[in-house]
Amino acid sequence: MAGQTDMELIKDGIRLDGRKPDELREVKITAGVLDNADGSCYLEWGNNKVYAGVFGPMECHPRHKQKADRAIVQARYTMAPFSVNDRKRPGLDRRSSEISYIASQAFEKVVMVEEFPKASIRVDMQVVEAHAGTRCAAITAASVALADAGIPMRDMIPACASGKVNDIVVLDLNKEEDNYGQADLPLAIIPSTGEVVLLQLDGHLSPEQFEEAMDLATSGCMDLYKIMRDALDKSYGGKK
Amino acid sequence: MSEESKNNKNSENSKGFVLPGDLLETKSKPGKGIFRKDGRVYSSVVGYSNDRSGYVNVNAIKGRYTPKVGDKIVAVCAETGPSVWRMNIGSAFNSTLHHSESGWKVPFGDTARFLAIGDAVWAEVFMVDAAGTHQISLKKDDCRKLYSGTVVQVEPTAVPRVIGKQGSMITAIREKTNTRIQIGQNGFIWIDGKGEDISKAQKALETIDREASSEGLTKKIEKLLEK
Repeated sequence: MAGQTDMELIKDGIRLDGRKPDELREVKITAGVLDNADGSCYLEWGNNKVYAGVFGPMECHPRHKQKADRAIVQARYTMAPFSVNDRKRPGLDRRSSEISYIASQAFEKVVMVEEFPKASIRVDMQVVEAHAGTRCAAITAASVALADAGIPMRDMIPACASGKVNDIVVLDLNKEEDNYGQADLPLAIIPSTGEVVLLQLDGHLSPEQFEEAMDLATSGCMDLYKIMRDALDKSYGGKK
Repeated sequence: MSEESKNNKNSENSKGFVLPGDLLETKSKPGKGIFRKDGRVYSSVVGYSNDRSGYVNVNAIKGRYTPKVGDKIVAVCAETGPSVWRMNIGSAFNSTLHHSESGWKVPFGDTARFLAIGDAVWAEVFMVDAAGTHQISLKKDDCRKLYSGTVVQVEPTAVPRVIGKQGSMITAIREKTNTRIQIGQNGFIWIDGKGEDISKAQKALETIDREASSEGLTKKIEKLLEK
C-alpha cells in the first residue's frame, strides 16, 4: 500500500497475472500430508505454499493458560527464512504474533472447545513460500488440518482477501497488487452462518467500496470452501 | 461442494461421507460426532454417518480416544506419583491409576517398584467425569500388568477393523504370527512373542491402520502374513 510504481496494475479489466478483478488465483489443497501430526494440510495458492499441522486436544501448557470450562486453541503462524526475497529472520516477530493471535481467536469460534475442558489444541502454520495473502492461505490450510485431525468443529473457515487496485475493487491480491495497491482486506467467515471470524483492513476504502470488497471477499471464501471440501472428499471420501 | 457430499445433504441415506457442518436429515436422536443447532442435527467431524436403532452417529475417520466407562484398554505408564500412576491412554489427558485400584499393596512413595515409566497394563476405564478427567482400574476381570512384549498404536477408530468380523482379523494375525495380542479400545495394542513375529504382526497392524476404510482387508492381511 505504501509503495509507488509506474506499473499499470490493472488494464482493461485484466490484472498483471491475467486474472479478472473477481477471480481467485489457483488453489490446490491436499489433506493429511504429514504422518507425525494428528492432522495436516498442504496448500498452494498461486505462488504461496503453506503447511499446516494440528496436534491435540492435549493438556494445556503453560498451565495458567488453561480454561476450566473449555479448551483453548494455540495457533502459531511462522514464515520460513527462505519464504521471502530478503531472508527473513526466523522466529516470531510482531507481525506473526499478531496473525497467530487472530487465527487462534478465529478457530476458537468454530472448534467445539467446550468438549475439552483444560485442554489445548495446537495449530502450526508454516509459510514456505510467500506471495501475498499468506494469512488467508495459512488459516484456510489450518482449517483443513483441523478437520483432518478429527477435531469436532461446527464448520471449516475459509479465508480470502479482497482489496483496491487503481481504484478498482479486486479479489485475492497478488504480490504486486499488495505492495503497490491501495487497500487490502483479509476476511474469514463461517460459511454455514455467514459469521465473520476475521476481518482486517489495511489502506483506504470508501463505505461503498468497503461493501463491495466485503461481498467480493465473501464470494471468494465460498469458492474456497468448495475447494476445501473437495480436498477432504478426495483424501477420505472415496473409501468404503 | 462435491457431488457426493451434495447428495448427503439432501438424502435420508443412512450411510454417507460427511464433513464438519453438514446437515444430517434425520428424525433419530443425536449420538456421537454431531452437534445440534436450532433443533437440527449437523456433523461435527469428517467421517461416515449412520442412522441405526434410533440414533444418528458420525464415525470420525481420525481423532483421539475418548474414554468410556467399561472400556478395556492398554495403558502405558507416563509418570509416577507417591500414590498414583499417570497412564498414557492416547486421549487428550493422561489417566490416573490410583494405588488402591491396582490390586497391589503399595507402600507410600514406592509406586515405581510396581509400575515404572514405560510399563504397560491391561486395564478398564472405571470413572470418567464431566471435567474430562478419568481413572482406570486393574481390579476388574482379567486386568493385569503386561510383562515383556511391545505396544503399538493405531487410530482408535480403526480398532473394529483390527478385530474384524467375529474376531476374524485378529485370529488370523494371532495364528499366522504365533503371537499373543491384546487390543485396547483406545487403539493401543500389546504384542508379545518372538522378535521377528512381533515385527511381522506390527507390520500387519500398521497396514490395517493405514487402510482401515478399504474393503477386503482380512484377505489382504492373510496374504501379507503368508509371505
